[in-house]
Amino acid sequence: MEYKGGERRGRKQWGRLFRYCVMHPTLTISVFLTAGLIFWGSVNWGMDMTNSESFCISCHEMEQNVYQEYKNTVHYSNRTGVRAICPDCHVPKEWGPMVIRKVSATNELFHKIFGSVDTPEKFEAKRLKLAEHVWETMKNNDSHECRNCHAFNSMELGKQKKTSQAAHRRAVKLKRTCIDCHMGVAHKIAKDFDKDLKLHDGFKRNKRPCADCHKNMQQGEGW
Amino acid sequence: MLKKFKNYIQSYCSLSASCPIGVFFSVFTLGIVFWGAFNTSLELTNNETFCISCHEMKVNVYKEYKETVHYSNRTGVRATCPDCHVPKEWVHMVLRKIGATNELFHKFIGSVDTPEKFENKRLELAEHVWAGMKATDSRECRNCHAFDSMSLDAQKKTSQSAHKRAIKAKRTCIDCHMGVAHKIAKDFDKDLKLHDGFKRDKRPCADCHKNMQQGEGW
Repeated sequence: MEYKGGERRGRKQWGRLFRYCVMHPTLTISVFLTAGLIFWGSVNWGMDMTNSESFCISCHEMEQNVYQEYKNTVHYSNRTGVRAICPDCHVPKEWGPMVIRKVSATNELFHKIFGSVDTPEKFEAKRLKLAEHVWETMKNNDSHECRNCHAFNSMELGKQKKTSQAAHRRAVKLKRTCIDCHMGVAHKIAKDFDKDLKLHDGFKRNKRPCADCHKNMQQGEGW
Repeated sequence: MLKKFKNYIQSYCSLSASCPIGVFFSVFTLGIVFWGAFNTSLELTNNETFCISCHEMKVNVYKEYKETVHYSNRTGVRATCPDCHVPKEWVHMVLRKIGATNELFHKFIGSVDTPEKFENKRLELAEHVWAGMKATDSRECRNCHAFDSMSLDAQKKTSQSAHKRAIKAKRTCIDCHMGVAHKIAKDFDKDLKLHDGFKRDKRPCADCHKNMQQGEGW
């Protein structure tokens, strides 16, 4: 009985609130409008918060493996001091694709809790599979995140090394995408990469110089 | 008109008695839409196409910038107009947008609508930009370039020593990199004050007189 009475009182109070709202339409509308503004602002703010390097490397899986490797590469430190941080390559800039990427990142949260790659050994064992996921995504969207910064339109081939010039000309002609060649540009390549030599056979057919990868790119052990 | 609007609001609110959640939810959504539209329209004015839709920009500063390293370079990483001239942080960005209404006014009265008028005002306009950059410690430069990410070893000897000196003396980018993306005005530093400073710092002449974007008579 007491509970029921409480419920009735509760309803009465809600009713009073509604009546207040009807009596003060301008106030009510401004309050809800502001609530909408704040809600939307905070959604986007939250997205921005999770789009920073410090958030990415708050997981030791990232901090101890891929982040350490990336710190030795040209995307971290270079002549002009223009750095690309994790989300620049791994999170789309456009709102729709960005939200989709954020939602699918819940799978990464699951594996974080599950401890799928919580030791360097486990990470090495999964490196190829994880890398292949990233390469596949980049191939499917024509290396969209690479192209957020790098564009053939803004590229002066004359300033590049001869081999890069030729490779880029070939790539433009054949409509290749960045990740077709630039695998392992920011992280180590897995030891078991291209074990069946399919990719290497293709490189040989295209007369791609060995030094493209075996000297200039970020090198894994046994690379 | 106002009365009609008031009536409309009131009838809308009397709806809230019968369907309160629907009404509140729709107003809430209206807030979201409003915020989204506001930011989207700000973004629409934050691109090169918008900037060069004024011929004052297109035939002068844009044309010059196209010859520089910020437009075309080895790695294909380009900086567009707003990257250097509009802050990235929301509050500063909105303030800059409001400040730009003055530019709209001058567009309207045609202050720089011929190349001659533009040349006459070039120094004054450039000095405004330089003063802004100096005041913010070249914040917009540093949105892309940071000493933290810079490997000095990959630079030329003169650049290395200049940057080392700059870090030590807490200089800011624009102290040296004036005219890096646009022509320098002919009447720049007429009283030689800056050049005297450069000489004191033993800054090599070639820093500007060969490598930077060059105006006529530069």
